[in-house]
This record gives sequence, C-alpha cells and structure tokens, in this order.
Amino acid sequence: MADFAQTLMTTLAVGSLYALIALGYTMVYGILKFINFAHSDIVVLGAWISFTLTRWLFPAVGLDAHNPDSPAPPLWLGASILIAAVVACSLIGFVIERFAYRPLRKAPRLNVLITAIGVSLLLQNLGQLSFMFGPSPQKMPALLSNVELWRLSLPSSGGARNVVIGLVDVMIVGTSAVLMIALEFLVFRTKIGTAMRAVSYDLEASALMGIPVDRIISYTFMLGSALAAAAGFLYALKYPGLNQPAHTTWVLLGLKAFVAAVIGGIGNVRGAVLGGFVIAAVEQFGAYYLSSSYRDVYVFALLIAILLVRPSGLLGSTVREKV
Amino acid sequence: MTNVSTANRTAPNQASPTLLAVEGIGIRFGGLKAVDGFSINLPRRGLYGLIGPNGAGKTTVFNLLTGVYQTQAGRIFLDSRNLVGLKAHQVVAAGIARTFQNIRLFPGLNVLDNVQLAGQLHAREGLASTLLRTRRYAHEESEIRRKAFELLGLFGLQERCLEPATSLSYGHQRHLEIVRALAANPKVLLLDEPAAGLNSQEKLELAKSIRHIRDTFDLAILLIEHDMGLVMDICEQITVLDHGEVIAHGTPHEIQNDPKVIAAYLGADAATV
Amino acid sequence: MRKPNPDTPFDSPTPPRERGLLGTLANSAWPILLGIALAAALHYFWPLGPGWLYYKKVVLDVGIAIILAVSLNIVNGMTGQFSLGHAAFLAIGGYTSGIVTYYGSILLWKSTDLHGGVLGPGAWLFVFACLLGALVATAAGYVVGLPSLRLRGDYLAIVTLGFGEILRVVLQQTNPILSPDQLDSSSLKNWLPPPVGGAVGFNGLPTYTTLFWVYVFVALMLVVAFRLKRSSLGRAMISVREDEFAAQAMGVHVARVKVMAFMIAAFFAGLAGGLFAHESGLILRPLDAGFLRSLDYVIMTVLGGRGSISGVVLAATLLTVLPEYLRDFDQYRLIVYSLLLIGMMLLRPQGLFGIHEIWDWRPRWFTRKPQTRSPSNEKRGAA
Ligand SMILES: Nc1ncnc2c1ncn2[C@@H]1O[C@H](COP(=O)(O)OP(=O)(O)OP(=O)(O)O)[C@@H](O)[C@H]1O
Ligand SMILES: [Mg+2]
Repeated sequence: MADFAQTLMTTLAVGSLYALIALGYTMVYGILKFINFAHSDIVVLGAWISFTLTRWLFPAVGLDAHNPDSPAPPLWLGASILIAAVVACSLIGFVIERFAYRPLRKAPRLNVLITAIGVSLLLQNLGQLSFMFGPSPQKMPALLSNVELWRLSLPSSGGARNVVIGLVDVMIVGTSAVLMIALEFLVFRTKIGTAMRAVSYDLEASALMGIPVDRIISYTFMLGSALAAAAGFLYALKYPGLNQPAHTTWVLLGLKAFVAAVIGGIGNVRGAVLGGFVIAAVEQFGAYYLSSSYRDVYVFALLIAILLVRPSGLLGSTVREKV
Repeated sequence: MTNVSTANRTAPNQASPTLLAVEGIGIRFGGLKAVDGFSINLPRRGLYGLIGPNGAGKTTVFNLLTGVYQTQAGRIFLDSRNLVGLKAHQVVAAGIARTFQNIRLFPGLNVLDNVQLAGQLHAREGLASTLLRTRRYAHEESEIRRKAFELLGLFGLQERCLEPATSLSYGHQRHLEIVRALAANPKVLLLDEPAAGLNSQEKLELAKSIRHIRDTFDLAILLIEHDMGLVMDICEQITVLDHGEVIAHGTPHEIQNDPKVIAAYLGADAATV
Repeated sequence: MRKPNPDTPFDSPTPPRERGLLGTLANSAWPILLGIALAAALHYFWPLGPGWLYYKKVVLDVGIAIILAVSLNIVNGMTGQFSLGHAAFLAIGGYTSGIVTYYGSILLWKSTDLHGGVLGPGAWLFVFACLLGALVATAAGYVVGLPSLRLRGDYLAIVTLGFGEILRVVLQQTNPILSPDQLDSSSLKNWLPPPVGGAVGFNGLPTYTTLFWVYVFVALMLVVAFRLKRSSLGRAMISVREDEFAAQAMGVHVARVKVMAFMIAAFFAGLAGGLFAHESGLILRPLDAGFLRSLDYVIMTVLGGRGSISGVVLAATLLTVLPEYLRDFDQYRLIVYSLLLIGMMLLRPQGLFGIHEIWDWRPRWFTRKPQTRSPSNEKRGAA
C-alpha cells in the first residue's frame, strides 16, 4: 500500500512532465502532420538554460550553489528562471519553424521528418560545444528545497511505512496543471485556439477562409516550445543531475513523450495529457513491480501494442485516407 | 499496330454473356452515401460508359470494384468468381485493371518500367533465381520486357521507352496509364476519364484506340468520361449516377432523351422547361 | 556516348536452354567471382608496415559502412520506408556471430585466439557465424517489417527507432562474458540473459575480420543490390516508394514487398554486424544498436540518393573517410552531419544522385537537363 502510494506520487509528477512535452508533439503533428523530432531538444534547452541561469543568478542573490547548507533561494528566483527559459525556448521554436520547416511546407512528409532529425542533431551538438553548455553532465543547484509537505503512514508488507510527499513533486504537478488548464482555455476558448483547431482540421481550407495560417503555425510552435521549456525546467528540479545535451536519456525522454502523444491520439490535446499519465504509470509501476532495468521497454511495448490494436490512439478518431 | 498475343487468357465462356456482374454495391463515408445500390452487368467485349455530374460517385464505384474500398453491401462477380473481400492487388490478379483520373504514374521508373511493373503479377521466378540470374529468370524478364515494349506500340510510345515517365506530354501520360493497365493482362479494363485534358483531335484518336484495344485484347471496358460526345460515340450502354445512385441506364440514345438525366446535369428546373 | 544498355528492349528473347552448372556459373556468377578475386587481391597485395595498418582499418570500416548503407538503402531508398533502426540488425548479427565464434572457439580449440589464416578453420567458423547472425537478423527484420504494413512514414520511423533503443537497453542487461575457465563451471544463471558483456560490450572476440572477407561480402551486397534494382521485385519496391496506392492497383502485393525489403536489408546488416564485431580495435557495445549509429547510415542514404546504389557507396565512403581526417574536429562532425541533412532537404531532397546511378548522369549532361518532377505527384485529391 505504501509502495503503491509512493509510486503513484512519482507517476503523477513524471506523468505531468510527459504530458507537457507530449502536448508540443501533438499540437505540431495536429497541424503539420509530422513528428517534430527536435521537440525533445527544446526540453533539453529548457533544462540547460535553467541550469545556466541558475548558476549565474545564485551569486547575484548571494547564494552558493555548491554549498548544500546555504539557505533556499527565494521562490521568485525560480519563477523568473522558469519564465526566462520559456521565453527563450519560444523564440528558438519560432526560429526553427520559420527557417527549417516553413520552406518545406509543401514537400513530402518524409523530407520534413529528415529535416527535423537534422535540426535535432544540430541542437544537441551545438549545445555540447564548450562555449555553449559543454560536453559533460552538470548538477543543477536546488532552486527549491524539497520540504516535506505530508507524511502518511500506510500499511506495507513489512509493517507500516511512511509515504513522503515533497514540495518538488507537488510543485511539478501544480505548475503543469496550471499550464495545461491555461492551454485548454487557449485552445478551446479563444480566437487563436479556434484558428489553431481550424488549421489542424484543414490547412488549405483555413487559408482560403482568411486565417493567417503561417502566423498560427508560428504560434503553435512557440506554444509547444514554451511547454517544453517548462517541462525542461521542472525536469531539472526533479532530476538535478543533468546529462549533457546529446545524451541518449534526452532522446528517450522525448520518445516517451511522443509515445504518450500517440497513445492519447495524436493531434488530440486532451489525449496527450491522458497519454502522459498512462505512460508514466506503465513505466513507474513496471519499474517498481517488475524490473526497473526494463522501464523503457514497457513503454515501447505499449506503443507497439497500441499502434497495432488502435492506431488512432485512445482518444483519436480514425481517419480514412482519401484516394 | 503491333500484334499482341492474347494466348494466356482463359477461353471465353460462351455460356454466360456477363463477364462482370455487380449487384447493389455501396459505401458511405460518415453520413455521406457516396455510392448506394450500384449494379451493372458488363458482358464480354462490352464497352460501357459510366457518367454523372462531379461528385456523383463514379470514381468511388471504381474504387469499390478494385478493392480499394470494401463494399458495404451487394456482390461483385467476375466470371462467376466472387471479388468481394479481395485486396486491391488480388483484384488485379483476378482480372480487373484500372487507370486513374489524376494520372498516377511512377515518376522514378522510366516509361518501359512503368509497364513492366505489371509483369511481376505473373512472374513465377522467385527471389533466389532473381539474385542468381538464372537462365529461366533471364528469359522471363526478357519476355516481360518484350511484352511491355509491344504494348507501348499501341500509342507509339516505343521510342520514348527509356525516358522518365513524367517527361511525357500530358496526353502521352494518359496513354501510358492505359498501357500500364493493359500490361496486367486484365479481363476488364476500367478507364477513369481517359480523355480529360485532351484536345478534340486527341479525343478522336483515343476513341479509336479504345475500340481497338477492346477488339484486339478481347476485353470488357467500363469508361468514366465527362465528354458526352466521346461517350455517346463509343459506348454501347451507359449508366448514369447522381448522388451515388443510378438514375438511368440504357443506350446512348435513351440516355440522351431521359428527362432525369437532363435534370441531373442541368438542375431540376431545366428538365421541365 | 552511351554504353550499350543491357536493358534495351530491342534484344530478342532467347529461349531458355538448360546449361550445365558451369554454364550457369559463367553466366550469373561472374560478378561475384570477380568480387572475390578483387577482395583477394586487396588482401594479399595490401602493403605491410605500421603506417599501412591504419589505412587498412579505414578501408575495412569503409567496406562495412558500404554494406550497411547499401542494405539500408533497399528499405529507405528503394522501397521508400523510413527505418531509423538499422543498427539494431547490425547489433543482432554482431552479437549472434560473436557468441558463436567466442564460445565456439573455446569449445573447439580451448581458447579464443585466431585459428588458422584467412581460409583456415577459424575463418570458416567466423563466416558460418556471420551467416547465422545474418539469418537471425533477417528473422528480426521480418518482425520489424510487420508494423510497416500498418504504419506510414514517421510512425514507422518511431517504431524502428524504438526497436533499436529497446534492444540497446536489453543488451545492457546481459551477463558478463565467461572466460574459458568459467565456461566449464557456468550454470543456466550465467546464460540467461546470454553472457555477452552487458554495458561494457562484447570484447575479447577473435579478430577474424580481414580485408578479404569484408570485400567478399561487399561484392555480394553490391551484386544483390544491383540485381534487385533491375528486377521485377525491384520495380515493385520502387513503385511502392513512389505511390503505394497506384502500386497496389497494378497488382503489387505491397505488404509482401515491404517485408521482403526489410528482410533483405536486415540480412546484410546482420552480416555487416558480424564483420564489425570481429574487427580488431572495435568492441561491439549495446550503444551500437541505438539510434545514433542508425542515424549514420540514414545520413549516408539521404546524401547518396535514396535509391542510388553507387551514390550511397560514394556517400558511405566519404562519410567514413572524412571523419578520420577530421578527428580533431570530432565534436563538429555531427554538426556538419546535421547541417548536411537540413541543407540537403532544403536544396536537393532526392540526394546527390536521386534514384539514378552515378553513370546514368553522364549522357544526360550532354543531352538534356535533369527532369523535374511533375507537380501532379505532389498533391493528390480524389483519384
Ligand atoms: N475516402 C473518402 N472519404 C470521404 N468522402 C469521400 C471519399 N472518397 C470519395 N468521397 C466523396 O464521395 C463522393 C463521390 O466522389 P467520387 O470521387 O466518386 O466522385 P466522381 O463521380 O468521381 O466525381 P468527379 O467527376 O469529380 O471525378 C464525393 O462527395 C467525395 O467527396
Ligand atoms: Mg472521379
């Protein structure tokens, strides 16, 4: 019981991260019908930009990043770093779309996919250069002390055990929830959201109806990148040992988020959120109850099963290809 | 014109005059009944027409007949063989080949290869003999090539056989589509607007070629066409579709004077005037 | 100007005449015999001396890269599928053959040292192991090919990528390698999962990979690729790539063609894996199953031209040799690759040579401008 509750808490936190990242995949896929391979690298950028800013700003506010006993930084510091990372990544997302993807708007999808892989490689390896983030892993200073919020005593196989719910997990779930609700509002309640949905439904018809398609696509990329940056920031909070930008953990993180988008039904915003939590549950519970070495395997097994049984995902609708 | 062998076609079965029997097939896309209760009996060596306004469901009928879409009702028999449930490639093997309304040649293959492609339908040599280049394989390949080359002669495309398919003029591309379909050795040929985009001279020649093909290859042909002159000229029987339903069927003369057909083409008011 | 094209339709068909074994050999086996002769020449006339040893390794690597890139080109180039998991087949072939030679050598000869020369008993064990690895990879190719029947384009890319990554994770969990002494006392526990070294990699394999065997397999690969391209199956593959739907309407069994492409490609990747695993100075690691290594070969096919065998051979050679000379710039290598990919897609998406072979271009420079694709194939409405 205690183990279950603890795993559930992790699932919620990790699931929120997957959901945030999956949203970016799903929005771009919904509109341009291709996998934005570079999306996971925006997450990486978000994490590394947060790290860099933290390292700069800590001395500025009189803190020592290397001293574990130094007092916790003020909350506004974390918030402003989050905002800075979000803004920076939105701009990068805009630039990528404008210069790498827009010229290929009419090209076969495979070409766009290859370009996206190229952009992804480029971001990873630029990031690894020594004048950027460097080629070695780094430890993110704690922006938030992981205060114990609740302690529940739950029965477990070896007698009662404590389940600790910490501030970091709650912060991750809370921030993600706020962002997702904001996105939901944006997509379903505002004019821009309506235009986005129209473009995703039929790009050409929307253009004919006078919707500024290019601008809407730019917004979509910026929005997706903003969420990815937030995910990167939160990821660095939870897992302070940051791997270098071209490390495979990032590729896997992106892949899992993409799997989440597919499982939820690609193109479907609510599906991406659902998919994020499903993936996290499979991964965390599989890791806990079966074997943690194979956690990535469970996720892909689920992906393959879903694609074979219900290719349109849990919440997606089947589209028949017109010939 | 080249004399093309028709040797390996099954002998015509004189007992049943109907080659392709279609009964009440249909499909809906969401709420739209694209085709509903479509029937036709195409005899051996028949040359029938299928007409109707834009969006009437003509191409969808072809897609149903060729297994691209599975019919949701009714039956399709070719030479008393049931075709319902077959996949698209199996339907071709069974003997129905088609052309496309918007030309779909393979740009990466040259003219000859576009036609030779169908050779693999009847090829018997497997992967091993392909890779080993056995004599039998080489012979089969050269047979396929010879046949494809001969077929290209139908439209005088032989000199251009090594050029990329997309370098041909629009009219020639339409011809190549027909040749490519013929290479599959079909019993029934479905032509989807073969005259679209041709000038009147080319249309006349096309009409002649279509008749010629029917005669030399002993085929039944079902033709979708918007050019009424052409259809009335060469088709023996015409079926008219509107909103997915057959609204008339008969000889060109009957169709021309059918008020329902006139209404479908000109709008309901025109018919009563 | 133009060489007589063996495929001009103007030759009259010759009736099939049964020739004896020798006749068949002379007719159909000469390219591979020639390849073996060239490989032998390369092997025996390669200069000795420490300086040449380094170049030898480069030439070996080029050969292996050619096999991998040309085989991937059958799937990604000719058939138009998009696999991002080609390295997985390399790893499967490599690990399988490694198990055979490593433990086989211990069982047969009580040590993992080389046994005999280029054509000695050890080398034959190695060739057998490579073929076995290739067959296991083929079986995997069948399994990976199956999703390609339902998934298109980028979905397939993700599934193949996932396959490679899963394999990488699984390989990391394998048992440590057993030394000859440990082998006798090993129990089932040591063999499940197989003792192939886990995250460290499968080291200590006998280094049987020589110029001779690499280039024999390169010759085999090239003969198969060219014969395939100019065959019924090859045309069917290209038609699937160009327009799957129209291909089906021409009677092409699309599912079968795709799975065949995957299996043939996997076979050769598995073979190359065997060569890779037994090359001296290299250790086969779980990482070699993963995405980054697959990407190397994807870039070669994209650069060379999706479908052009000679173009891909050229690209594989260049992209293997150049980084050797740019060792100091290794951190920039992938940056250059990524810019190549992006630039290629923006400027020349069909690759350097498109689907053509290098020699196809010569006459065209004299006669006509290269063909531009007709717009009718880009956008499609209702058929
Ligand atoms: N795959 C599909 N999904 C949804 N609707 C479809 C599909 N295929 C066809 N339709 C619809 O079915 C109707 C009939 O289309 P079809 O292409 O058969 O018409 P047509 O008679 O060939 O017209 P045209 O003369 O313009 O070629 C149209 O309204 C079309 O939009
Ligand atoms: Mg039509």
